[in-house]
Amino acid sequence: MNQRNEIAKTEENGIKRTGNLKTAIPAVDIYENEDEIILHADMPGVVKEAVSVNVDNGTLSLSGVRTLENKGDPKWEEFGNVEFIRSFSVPQTIDVERVEAELMDGVLKLRLPKSEAAKPRQIEIKTA
Amino acid sequence: MFIRMGDMDNVFGAMDLLRNKMDRFLDGFDKSFDYGSGLSFTAGGPRTTLYEEKDAFEIRVEVPGIAKEDLKVNIQGNYLEIMGSRTIDAPEGYKVHRSERGTRSFSRNFTLPDGIDAEKVEAALRDGILYLKLPKSEVAKPKQIAIG
Repeated sequence: MNQRNEIAKTEENGIKRTGNLKTAIPAVDIYENEDEIILHADMPGVVKEAVSVNVDNGTLSLSGVRTLENKGDPKWEEFGNVEFIRSFSVPQTIDVERVEAELMDGVLKLRLPKSEAAKPRQIEIKTA
Repeated sequence: MFIRMGDMDNVFGAMDLLRNKMDRFLDGFDKSFDYGSGLSFTAGGPRTTLYEEKDAFEIRVEVPGIAKEDLKVNIQGNYLEIMGSRTIDAPEGYKVHRSERGTRSFSRNFTLPDGIDAEKVEAALRDGILYLKLPKSEVAKPKQIAIG
């Protein structure tokens, strides 16, 4: 299997649902180069404290709970409290220790660096 | 009944066609179908919610990843327009595996109920949600009548 499929595959099993909160699948952008994988996920209204990111055994699980203040009488409601959940298969070559996460303007930005051993190396050919 | 091999091929050919079509159709399904992304869904605008309080209305708009500078809120009479655009800054030199969030601009319009004090409208952007507070004008506020 090539890496593309590995990353793009979304798995059903991931974080368990909490309570009766509706779940939603956040839209994501995923980029990769030789050094790292970058993931951006839309999670509007989620605060830093309510986000969890887990990398375990080749599965990256994202969860973000949105708890909005309930105000007055809803005239229409196209969105409400929700848990954003999504999990991905990531290659084993991710250096879990160095994963960075940042939440800005409702967008979760993850940096998953690849371990040194996994980076492609050019082999120098010696002339005899 | 005996079926000639040629007929069999025709039948399976049609099935292959169907299967390919289904494959393509199902491909779209593991995308975020349930909820949609913040911007790309019904009627081309972000999701909104309207609450009515005693002395104000509050409109909330989902605008993940949109900076304050890229949002515009106009009020003209009782006509409210929210415009914005999102640019996705795809990093250079990276291979793209998924691109669901999308760059796009939107505008959404509302006709406000009477009695909004347009001068006192406040807008705040927090965690990817735009909060618009629209205070009711004095005339529209509920008044308690004392019983004499």
